[in-house]
Amino acid sequence: MNLTRRIIPAGVIALAVALAPPAYAQSSDAAKISELEKKLERSLELINQLSEKIRKIEQASANNRDAQTKTAQHAEKIEAIEKHVSEIGGSLSRRAEESGLPIHGFADVGLVMSREDNPSFKGRKGAVLGTSLGALDLYLTPRFGDRVKALIELVFEAEENGGTAADLERLQVGYIFSDAATGWLGRFHTPYGYWNTAFHHGAQLQTSILRPRFLDFEHDGGILPAHTTGIWLTGTQGIDRGRIGYDVFAGNAPQITRVAAGSNLAAANRTGFSPAVNAGTYAGSGRLDPLHAGGTTQRTSIGFNAWFEPTAVHGLRGGLHGLRAEIVDNAPVTNQTLVQMLGGYLAYMSDPWEAMGEYYRFRNNDRSGATGTHGSWAAYAQIGYNMRRWTPFARVERSRLDQTDNYFGVQASGRSYQRIAAGLRYDVDPKAALKVEFNSTRKEDLGPGLTDRFPELRIQYAIHF
Amino acid sequence: MRYQKFSLRILAATIGLAGSAVAHADLFVIANPATQITASEIKEIFTGEKQIAGSVKLVPVDNGPVQEAFLDTALRMDAPRYNTIWTKKSFREGIIPPTVKSGNNDVIEFVRRTPGAVGYISSNPPNGVTVVRKY
Repeated sequence: MNLTRRIIPAGVIALAVALAPPAYAQSSDAAKISELEKKLERSLELINQLSEKIRKIEQASANNRDAQTKTAQHAEKIEAIEKHVSEIGGSLSRRAEESGLPIHGFADVGLVMSREDNPSFKGRKGAVLGTSLGALDLYLTPRFGDRVKALIELVFEAEENGGTAADLERLQVGYIFSDAATGWLGRFHTPYGYWNTAFHHGAQLQTSILRPRFLDFEHDGGILPAHTTGIWLTGTQGIDRGRIGYDVFAGNAPQITRVAAGSNLAAANRTGFSPAVNAGTYAGSGRLDPLHAGGTTQRTSIGFNAWFEPTAVHGLRGGLHGLRAEIVDNAPVTNQTLVQMLGGYLAYMSDPWEAMGEYYRFRNNDRSGATGTHGSWAAYAQIGYNMRRWTPFARVERSRLDQTDNYFGVQASGRSYQRIAAGLRYDVDPKAALKVEFNSTRKEDLGPGLTDRFPELRIQYAIHF
Repeated sequence: MRYQKFSLRILAATIGLAGSAVAHADLFVIANPATQITASEIKEIFTGEKQIAGSVKLVPVDNGPVQEAFLDTALRMDAPRYNTIWTKKSFREGIIPPTVKSGNNDVIEFVRRTPGAVGYISSNPPNGVTVVRKY
């Protein structure tokens, strides 16, 4: 407004001076004066219009300043709200980190059609078709501190008699010394080969439905201790050309239990085993017991795994592994065998190809009898091809197990066999997979002229949560 | 006429580059000042292969709003692949996957106060954190 007040009088005076006639003409022409008066009025009118415009501009400027002030105030409020929300989010995150107990797991269900002639199917030789509950695997990773970590894994499995078995698969507490050394104490997955530590009960993680038969879990008839209770040191280290890793462990040596005379296998194959086992007629009746409750046999198993992942071939791992354990059974006259396994493996897990193979060579020594040292071996090779959600796969397995070796002769699954398997996996989403698998198995060492060849068709729906 | 066409091409290319720069905003990998890590170790840290730096336990954290851009730019993988890696790591080794933070402020605040923390943000890094690498 001050500007308006200054401009208007100044403009009037300026116009008056500019338009004023010279003194000598004032008395001569009244008409001219009248004309000038009219011009002056129009000029005043113009000045008034300009004044009004200036007033409006000043008003708009004032309004704009108010708006800017309000915008700044709003921005401050938004910033304060953002900070508050961030603090709440951070607080919630901290609470989850500090007090949370993450629980994850795997579960699977499926359909099975099998013609296997074995005790699992009550000795029948015929099609067995039915839905099957696989396993509900819960694993917990509680947080204790920066260097201490723990892993607890509980598995619930449906049994053949309709009951449910709960098994504490893993209970291990570890300490991280460095990237190159983490020590574990407790029950853990025995770190031999690739499959046993890579997939274990995580059905959704593995491409196929079944594990290689000779790598089955102990209670499913596996011929190797899939779990060990003891101490385990593991670590990795980056080097110029890739990454190396190792595992060394020691724990309770397993025992072969449930050994009973008068087995079907002993009746069918009376002379196929060591003299002690033949005489006891308990061939094929025992199962590996990892002795997690304590090493009652006072014997120890030790082993190692060493691997290398070259930088030049992404996804490739090659390794060597070994196991040495003195294993006894609970036959009336105890058999004692020094199991010595040495082998190697290759795994190529990339995109689109995935391939893996493992080899186990046994040189077992009879410590209780006089049958000496026995050579056996088992191996598998599997290949898959990822086509976005679809992964067709195929696998071959073979084992040649010396039946005069008491370690294999006494175990229910200690027969040689060969199997081919093929299937298709479909990833419904990143946490769920639908699989179908067909396999054909030929069991040997059942007796003179006896073999058991049977097909299986399996469907599995496996999830991770 | 030729000069005009050339100028138009230069202009179009400039606009294209500018648009590209806008589509891929800058990402900064930041760490707590007490954490000694190098840019070449970022992938190992965010895939659980490297857990210790010197005497400090590393604590990688994800930044939810820009996680996809970070995985694509820094780790060269997508979210399902990243999650599968951590599922396997967690199941096999008991390692807890990185916590997902709600945004830049949350990541900055966590990295500032946590020794061993490593995160990534899409805004200019403030004082109190170490910039490991800019993408």
